[in-house]
Amino acid sequence: MPALYSDVLLDHFRHPRNYGSLVAPDVSYEKFNPLCGDRIRIELQLNQTTITEARFKGDACAISTAAASLLTELITGTPLEAVAALSDDQLIAALESNIQPARVQCALLPLEALRAGMKERFKDS
Amino acid sequence: MEELFEDIEKLVRAEKRVAMATLVATRGTSPKREGAKMWVGEKGRILGSVTIGGCVDARVIAESERVLSLSEPRLVEMKLADEDAWEIGFSCAGDLDVLIEPIDLTNANANLFDLYQSVRETIDRGRSAVIATSLKDSSFKLLIVEGGEVSGTLGTPELDREAQTVASELMRKQRSGTVPLANDSLPVFFEVHGPPPTLIVFGASHVAMPLISLAHDLGLKTVVVDGRPRFATRERFPDVDELLIGIPSEIAETLAYTSSTFVVLTAHDYKYDLPVLKVVLPARPAYVGLLGSKRRGKAIREFMKDGGMDETLLEQLHVPTGLDIGADTAPEIALSILAEAVAIKSGRRK
Repeated sequence: MPALYSDVLLDHFRHPRNYGSLVAPDVSYEKFNPLCGDRIRIELQLNQTTITEARFKGDACAISTAAASLLTELITGTPLEAVAALSDDQLIAALESNIQPARVQCALLPLEALRAGMKERFKDS
Repeated sequence: MEELFEDIEKLVRAEKRVAMATLVATRGTSPKREGAKMWVGEKGRILGSVTIGGCVDARVIAESERVLSLSEPRLVEMKLADEDAWEIGFSCAGDLDVLIEPIDLTNANANLFDLYQSVRETIDRGRSAVIATSLKDSSFKLLIVEGGEVSGTLGTPELDREAQTVASELMRKQRSGTVPLANDSLPVFFEVHGPPPTLIVFGASHVAMPLISLAHDLGLKTVVVDGRPRFATRERFPDVDELLIGIPSEIAETLAYTSSTFVVLTAHDYKYDLPVLKVVLPARPAYVGLLGSKRRGKAIREFMKDGGMDETLLEQLHVPTGLDIGADTAPEIALSILAEAVAIKSGRRK
């Protein structure tokens, strides 16, 4: 059984990677939890086949912040097909923590922002 | 809008000439601060007060009528009691200097009227302005606008430069007062006007609701910031001037913080508190309060210190926010927060 909050999760919360904004992102999508107030925006730079840069910004809990930070690392340089196939379980596993059912929505908030942003970007394709 | 400009608007509609009495210096106990004003119209209208009523205001009215009849300004020294009160021991035991000047309200280009119009325009643009007046000859006036723009003169370029330095410091404190210039040979009254004080509340919580209503009643401009549209609603905050929804720390970066800005964090949630404090503390507003216990405050300070926040900046943080008045309900907590913020702004509490 992994720790409730692993060293990986705490490290990404305290030192989030890829925090910030892109100058002219191809994708920018913000999602929030209406009750707890977690708010995450994912921004992406794309070429024809790959995510070349990813940033996130937001005020969110430790799980959501760490998940967003890890997600940006996972998808940078990744082919778009592989990003589309990224599952909930993969992101939760990357946190190496015992995420309780009530907190799964926190962990998945950045992934939902990513999926919604990509869907919006490619809606006419 | 500042009471001064409301008074001018009322008088312009009803009077042609008025006497403007300004409290320019106090010695000993005084119920009002330098800058307090009283207006006496040619037709008898009275607005404002340089004390809290009583015998002094009656004497100011009499002196104002004399100023209007002679069309000449006067600097009047007064004791804060009549002889009876002094002898019986009911006196406030203070002395006041009151400058009384005639103003022609029918001519927008008349010097003094025009000057206050300029001050009002400056404030409307969100900047402070100071009118420096020579108390030896009140026709010498210098208008100093935040950012360095000046007009008028106190008599010489040297005096004007010295006045600009003093005005900058008084603008920072938002405090009017008389300061001697030219090696103590010339008393000059610095009348400071600034944009209205602003309360910015991060977290549209149940404590924030009475906090905003109370601040509105006190004349503050109010702003509520939250990431949750369901909480940050007009229904919950009918009096608020601005409701801002988004990433709170990102919104915090877009707001202006001055020596008249009070910031209170009422979300009671680290996910808002930590990133917002990172933005707000370095901007050094007049007051930063955080809802929470001493224990929580200690943990937040330590976390932020470990993250590289300067300790001197963390010392500005008031947690628990509010004076200890035994507050229990949300309105009582709101009262204690505003009481502490005002006490710190006025220098009564650190």
